[in-house]
Amino acid sequence: MLSQEDGALLAVENLDVHYGDLQALHNVSLRIPQGAIVSIIGANGAGKSTLLGAITGLNKPTRGKITFRNEDISSIHTHDIVSRGITMSPEGSRVFEKMSVEENLLIGAYLSRARKKRRELLERVYGLFPILKQKSGQLATYLSGGQRQMLAIGRALMVDPEVILCDEVSLGLAPVIVKDIYHKIVEINREGMTFILVEQDVKRSLRYSHYSYVMVKGRIVMEGRSAQLPEEQVREAYFGISRYA
Amino acid sequence: MEVLLQSLVNGILLGGLYAVIGLGMSLIFGIMGLINLAHGDLIIVSTYISMVVALKYSGNIFIALLITVLVMIVVGFFCQSVLINRVVDKGAEPPLLITFGLSVILQNVLQLIFGADAKSIPTKLAAANVITTPWFSISAIYLIDFVVSILVILSLHFIIMKTYFGRAIRATSGDVMASELVGLNTKRVYAVTMALAMITASIAGLLVGMTFTYYPTTGTEYLIIAFGVVVIGGMGSLVGTLLGGIILGLAQILGSYFFGMAYQLFFGYVVLLVILTFRPQGLFANTK
Amino acid sequence: MALGGRVALVRWIVLAVIVVLLITLPLWATQGMVNVSLLVMLYMAVGEMWNLLAGYAGLVSLGQQIFIGLGGYSLAVFTEVYHLNFLLAILIGGVVSGVFALVISQPIFKMKGIYFAIGTWIVAEALALYFLNWSFVRYGLGFNIRTTYNMTTDYLYFISLVVGLGSVLLVYLIMRTRGGLALMAMRDNELAAEVMGIGLYKTKLMIFLVSAFVTGLAGGVLYLNISFIQPTAAFSIQWTVAAVVIVIIGGIGTMEGPIVGAVIYVVLQQYLYDFPGFSMIILGVIAISIILVAPRGIMGTLHEKFGWEVLSARRNPRGMKAVAGSD
Repeated sequence: MLSQEDGALLAVENLDVHYGDLQALHNVSLRIPQGAIVSIIGANGAGKSTLLGAITGLNKPTRGKITFRNEDISSIHTHDIVSRGITMSPEGSRVFEKMSVEENLLIGAYLSRARKKRRELLERVYGLFPILKQKSGQLATYLSGGQRQMLAIGRALMVDPEVILCDEVSLGLAPVIVKDIYHKIVEINREGMTFILVEQDVKRSLRYSHYSYVMVKGRIVMEGRSAQLPEEQVREAYFGISRYA
Repeated sequence: MEVLLQSLVNGILLGGLYAVIGLGMSLIFGIMGLINLAHGDLIIVSTYISMVVALKYSGNIFIALLITVLVMIVVGFFCQSVLINRVVDKGAEPPLLITFGLSVILQNVLQLIFGADAKSIPTKLAAANVITTPWFSISAIYLIDFVVSILVILSLHFIIMKTYFGRAIRATSGDVMASELVGLNTKRVYAVTMALAMITASIAGLLVGMTFTYYPTTGTEYLIIAFGVVVIGGMGSLVGTLLGGIILGLAQILGSYFFGMAYQLFFGYVVLLVILTFRPQGLFANTK
Repeated sequence: MALGGRVALVRWIVLAVIVVLLITLPLWATQGMVNVSLLVMLYMAVGEMWNLLAGYAGLVSLGQQIFIGLGGYSLAVFTEVYHLNFLLAILIGGVVSGVFALVISQPIFKMKGIYFAIGTWIVAEALALYFLNWSFVRYGLGFNIRTTYNMTTDYLYFISLVVGLGSVLLVYLIMRTRGGLALMAMRDNELAAEVMGIGLYKTKLMIFLVSAFVTGLAGGVLYLNISFIQPTAAFSIQWTVAAVVIVIIGGIGTMEGPIVGAVIYVVLQQYLYDFPGFSMIILGVIAISIILVAPRGIMGTLHEKFGWEVLSARRNPRGMKAVAGSD
């Protein structure tokens, strides 16, 4: 079973990130084992998106290190990080509005190693999300919220990565759809994909992940195997109640 | 009546040329969201280069075009990496002022090297009429302008819609962050787009040089035409750019038909101002 | 606090000395210097007005030549055709510019950002074309402005002095009023300013009209100096180029910037008089470099690094410094 002593695929060590004078992350450390689903739970403004941004090279850390397969990726450009095997389904999906569903997916396989197997990757995405196949010729701008989220995840899959970061996948979606998406994430994970899920919903995060970190105001205040973290305590930490804030 | 018909025909043919003039600006704006105020001057620079090469190689237009394209790609690369990439995410003002400064420099450099007299690219095609009907005739050079322009627009359309790199261009113009996240080097996409824009500018420059006379300051006129084409046609849309060119061309020629030759440019400017006031997003917004 | 008061006093004394020197310039300087100072004063005014628009109100105009041309042509037409006194003609030029600005403000203000910039440029080009075809202004032949033939350089200098110093004073007063605060708020965050109830449209319009008026006056005096006017030159983008270069190099968003910029501009033009293209190329390169490297220009960077601010838009810079703890 997974233990935190396994060689971490992705590690974040003592990370600080600043926006000008404002410090968004304080001494954040994480270990993401290969094949795990790790969730990061926190309220708005806790720093979750900033953390994902740092991992994907969208923000530059002011202190600390991020390593992937033992390589320091702290100061590499986003597209180079992606070519090493990390990608993200960003907050709000950010699909390419004026391109069709299929074009969105195909551009996901832009990098050479993915491009070679693009037909195969495409079939896999369509298998997981049949609705995308149905709407493959339609412009992404006409999709519903849930379909966009599926498209974003599908596009991330097309990159043929090893790690997928998911930023607030459930935002603004009906529970039924969110459940479906999470089931698909678990299914993809069973095939070997590592996930980092950033979420506001405590219950869902604990249920679908192997390991969880709780963030409050840019700091990790709690962590542990998801199955063993008491939901109540997590909730208290999340709201920044007394001993954790 | 024949004159009106002739005007219509000329307006449409000219519109093709205008569309190519605006093409580069449309590309850059679609991708980087900035208007290059030196666009017209870059076209005229390529016109002068073509002129020099053509004169050196006894009027061989193809060599002229080839060399011009190569030079302009280098120039474009320089502008992109040294000037534009630095300010592309700093708001609207710096790119405006920098490209304005570039325009000033280019016009003065041209004036210094070539003097302020009118020039043209010598070609035997200009005067001849290729098609003559009882109602109107089509001059060879106008026809060539139009045909080449259509070819360029179709080629560009093909590249952008059907190739992998074209898809990369469309992705980058849609969402830079998401593009980076699928592994696209967006700065490189910018550079290649600039190269494409320079190629179209070179072609436009050659056609302009063969069709009209020009001065170091002609760049301003073509800047406004390019801007007009892009505004009328809707930013970033190739088909719109073609239609925008034709509308602008028609507006100019018809303006001169109704109000006199002197008012040709003037009428175009007025139409453009009207459109900027009431429908700045272009007549064809929401088409791709 | 006493130190702050002392520094302010020194500042005012230095300014007063400078003004006195300027007023007495013809007495102690060479004719060449007077001529240069004349031009500096006028370009300073043009620069201050562009800065008011772009640096403070956030309206980047590429059409200042509209008002220079209108001012110049008012001088020409009203002295040559209607035989009015030249000062009156220049004043009318300012008014004509202001009225024209009012008329085009309707459509122009609907355009935002780059559209506004190019829109003003197109209006200028259209105006040039119109004047080229207008019999009333003698088409492209233009006018010889003969009233100025008997004027001495000193006389012209004093007129320019009034315009130049007046423009700086005007900007200073504007920024000191409530309108000035509104402008700076607008420049920094338009949405927030709008929400606070500051009449954005009205403020922008006022600034636009004022700028047009003064630029028109400057245009009139400029053409008093040039004494021959013709449409292509009168409505040439070169006037705006000068304004832009002056303000960028001197320091956009500062009051002293256009002064410094104007000096550099005029002196460089004089130095490279025999190589006209070169000065513009050099100025263009400098301006671009400044935007890339030190975007706040000479005075802006000096202010940022050393706190040197001679003419401050803020009510009590010393006081704010004390409160804020640092600049």
